[in-house]
Amino acid sequence: MKHIKTPQDIADMARGAVFLGTGGGGDPYVGELFLLQQLEEGRSPMIVTADDVADDAFVVSIAGVGAPTVLVEHLVSERTLLDLLARAEAFYGRKIDALISAEIGGANSMFPLALGARAGIPVIDGDGMGRAFPHLEMTTFSIDGITATPTVMIDDLGNVATVTTPNDRLAEDMLRALCNTLGAMVLGSFYSMSGKQMKQSAVRDTITQTLEIGRCIRESRETCEDPVSGLMTYLNDPKRGRYARVLFDGKITDVTHETRDGWHWGAVSLQSMTDANDKMVVEIQNEYLAARRNGKTAIIVPDMISILDRETAEPLTAEMLHYGLRVKVIGYSAVPELRTEKALKVCSPRQFGMNEDFLPLESLA
Amino acid sequence: MTDYRLGIDVGGTNTDAVIMRGREVVTATKRATTQSVGDGVVDAVTVTLQQSGLAASAIKAVMIGTTQFVNAFLQRKNLSELAIIRISLPRTDGVPPMVSWPKDLRAILGSNIYMTKGGAYYTGQDYIPLDEEAIAAAALDIKAKGLKAIAISANFAPIRPDLEHRARDIVRGIIPDAMITLSSDVGGIGLIDRENAAIINASLMAFSREVVTSLVQAIKNLNISAPLYISQNDGTLLTTEAAEAYPILTCSAGPTNSIRGAAFLTGLQEAVVVDIGGTTTDIGFLVKGFPRETTGVNYIGGVRTNFRMPDVLSIALGGGSIVREEERGIEVGPQSVGFHIREEALLFGGPTLTTTDVAVKARDLSGIGDPAKVAHLDDDFVSRVMDAIRLRIEDAVDQMKTSSKPVPVVMVGGGSILVTGAVAGASDVLMPPYAEVANAVGAAIAQVSGRVDKLYDYGQDGGRLAVLEIAKQDAIDAAIRAGADPDTVEVLDIAELPMMHMKTNAVQVKVRAVGNLFAMSERAAV
Repeated sequence: MKHIKTPQDIADMARGAVFLGTGGGGDPYVGELFLLQQLEEGRSPMIVTADDVADDAFVVSIAGVGAPTVLVEHLVSERTLLDLLARAEAFYGRKIDALISAEIGGANSMFPLALGARAGIPVIDGDGMGRAFPHLEMTTFSIDGITATPTVMIDDLGNVATVTTPNDRLAEDMLRALCNTLGAMVLGSFYSMSGKQMKQSAVRDTITQTLEIGRCIRESRETCEDPVSGLMTYLNDPKRGRYARVLFDGKITDVTHETRDGWHWGAVSLQSMTDANDKMVVEIQNEYLAARRNGKTAIIVPDMISILDRETAEPLTAEMLHYGLRVKVIGYSAVPELRTEKALKVCSPRQFGMNEDFLPLESLA
Repeated sequence: MTDYRLGIDVGGTNTDAVIMRGREVVTATKRATTQSVGDGVVDAVTVTLQQSGLAASAIKAVMIGTTQFVNAFLQRKNLSELAIIRISLPRTDGVPPMVSWPKDLRAILGSNIYMTKGGAYYTGQDYIPLDEEAIAAAALDIKAKGLKAIAISANFAPIRPDLEHRARDIVRGIIPDAMITLSSDVGGIGLIDRENAAIINASLMAFSREVVTSLVQAIKNLNISAPLYISQNDGTLLTTEAAEAYPILTCSAGPTNSIRGAAFLTGLQEAVVVDIGGTTTDIGFLVKGFPRETTGVNYIGGVRTNFRMPDVLSIALGGGSIVREEERGIEVGPQSVGFHIREEALLFGGPTLTTTDVAVKARDLSGIGDPAKVAHLDDDFVSRVMDAIRLRIEDAVDQMKTSSKPVPVVMVGGGSILVTGAVAGASDVLMPPYAEVANAVGAAIAQVSGRVDKLYDYGQDGGRLAVLEIAKQDAIDAAIRAGADPDTVEVLDIAELPMMHMKTNAVQVKVRAVGNLFAMSERAAV
C-alpha cells in the first residue's frame, strides 16, 4: 500500500502525469489542488496494488469529460462527485469497492485519488492506458471487452444521464453530445468491472510510476548536470522492461493549432541546436502522435512522445509549446498491453487517420 | 518643443531620475533610495532639476517606476487582512480559494472566505442566477469583522464581468469605503490564477494608496504640477488612480523599464538586454520594442497567477557580488554586499573583494572609489575573474535567445562596467550613453495600452475575421480609455487559443493595443 501524503508527493505525481499524458490529457492542476485540499482536511488516498483487490470486488473508473478551458473555470465540486458515487452505486446496484483511473496521463489521474480520499474508497495503483488517449475505446479495459457503459453522468447542477450502448465509439458520441449540452464539462462512472477483470486488464503500478517519474525529475534537477539524463536512466531501468530514448534536442521553430471536429490538431516544428538542417516535426491530435525527423518516422502511436524543457526536464503539454522554447523530445515505448495485435486494432496509427502501420520505437532507431 | 518629461525609477538600492525632451535625454542622476520613498524621490528630482537648470514648471509629465508593491508582497510586509467572495456555487467547492497558498501568507491574509451561488457557462449564459442575498450577507459579515480589503471572483468573469460588478455594487452599498478588487480586472481565463491575482492585489491596495499618496505629495512638494503616472508590467503607464487600485499591475515594471529604456537608447527593436544591478543581473529579450512576455504561469511570492510578465532570467551576479578563490576555482556570488558596497568593497576601504573592485582594476577605471586600493590585485587572477563573469553572462544570454543567430546585446544598469569586449552569441555589444539609468529612461518613454482576453464564438459572431475585428477594436478602445492618443494607437499582438476537445468554435482571443500618452503625443512622439 502506498500513500500520497505531502504537497510534494502531489506535485511529483502531477509532473509525472503530464509526462505520461504525452502532450494531452489536460493539465492536472485542478485535480492537484483538489487533492491538496483533501490533504489539508486530513484525508489522504489509500492506494492499493491490483492484486490486493478481491476477485469479486466491484471496481469503476471515475473521470471528467470535457474541455480543459472549462475545467480551469468550473474546477471540480466535491459534492457532485459524492453525488455521482451514490448514484452510481444505486444504478449498478452494488457498493463500489475500489476506484481506478481510466487514463493516468493528465487530469484524470487526480480525480479518483481525491474522491477516494474524500469517500474513503481505495484507489488501485494502475489505469487503463499507461498514458493519455482521446477515445473511450482506447483503454485496455475496452480492448478486453469491458465496455465504458453502462455509465452514470452528472454535472454540478444535478443533471444526471445514464447511457448504455453496444460499443464504446457510440458511447463516445453520445457522451460528447451530452457534454456539449451541459456546458462542456461532466463527470461520469465508466468501465464497471469485477476485481478479477480489473486484474486481467489494468496497466499496473502507474500511480507509482507518475510519482517516481515526477520525483526523479525533481531530484535530477538538484543532482544531475542534465536532468533529462537522470530521467532516461530511470525509464531505461531493465527491471521495467521498457525502452526510452532522447529523439531530438532542439528549439521549437513553429507551432500550429487547429480545432477540427472538436479535436485539437496541430504540429510542432523543431530545429536542432547544432545543425540548422536537422529538423523534427511532432504531429498532434490531442496528444503527440508521431515524430518525424527529416521526414523519417522516429516514433509513432501508441508509443509515447513527451516534450521536456531542455534545462529543467519539466514535461510540457501541447498547449504550453511556443516558438523559441528549447526542448528535448523523448520517445518511450508504450506499455506492452498497448502493443498487442488486439490493442493495435484500436490504437494503431491507422485509427488516428495515418496511412501507416505501427513500428516499435526500438526498430526505428 | 519646450516640454520636458521626468522619468524616475525607485529601485531597492538606487533611485534614478532622468529629464527627457522629445527623444533626447537632458540630464540624469542616480541617488540612494531612502527609507521613506518620497524623500528619495524629492532628493533625486531636486538634484536632476538643478543639473538641468530647469524650473519645475517646465516638467509636463512625471513617470515613476517602482518595485515597492511586489517587494511588499515578497517580504510579506504592509499587507492587509482581507475577505474573498467567490461566485461559483454549486460549482468549485472541491477547490476553495487559497488552497495552494504558502501558510505564512494565509496567516497574514486570514481565511475570510465566502462562496456564493452564481456564475456563467463558457457561452456566457448563467448556469444559475447570482445570489444577491448571499452577497449582502457576506458583506454584512465582512463589515462586522472590520475588514476593508475584498477580492471578488466569479466563474467565467472574463466573459461575464457584470456578475462581479453587481457583487461589487452590493458590497459597496454595505461597506462604502471597501477596497475591492474584481478578478475580471486583473486576469484572464483560469479561475484560480485570476482569483489569486485579485487576492494579491486586494492585499496590497491599502499600502498602494499610501505609497501613491506619498509620491503625489513628493511631486507636489517639488512644485511640479504635471500629471503623475506609474509604470506597469508591459512597459506602459497607469494613472495614479489606476495604480492605487491595481498595484499588481506594477509588479514587474522594473525589468520592463530597463528593457524598454535599452530599446530607446539604442534604437533597436530586437535585442537581448542585460541589466546588471548590485546583486542580480536580469536578462530579457526585446521583441518589436517590447519585452518578450512569459507564456505560461508565473509565481509571485509563491502564489501562482496567469499574470502577464516580462520573460526575464535573473542570475545572482552584480556589481556587489563577492569574489572568492576556492580550491575548485573562482567563485563569483551568489552572495553580494548589496547596497553596503560603499562600506564593504575594497575600493571604498572595506574588507570584501567584489566584482566592482576587480572590474576597476581590469579596466583601469577611475571615478569609483580609490583605484589604489585594488592596485595589488594579481593581473592573472583579475583576468580569470573577468572571464568567469563574462561566461556567466554569455550562458544566460544564450538561454534567452530564440535562435543561434547572433543578436545585439545591450548592457544597461549600474553594474554594466563588469563586462567588456565581445560576448559569445552577440552580433554586437552596446552600452549606450545613459545605460546606467536605462530604467528611468524606460519609465519616461512609456506608452499606454489596452488589452482584451475573452472567449469568442467564431461560429456565431460572424466568423473569425469579424470576431478579430471586434476584439481589436475593444483593445484599441481600452487603450484610449487609459489615456492613449487615438491617432497613435496600434494593435501590437493578437493570440488565438482554440478551445480544445469540444465541437464548438469557441476561441480565446488575446489582443494588445498600444499608443502614445495623449498629453505628450503631439510634442514628443516616442
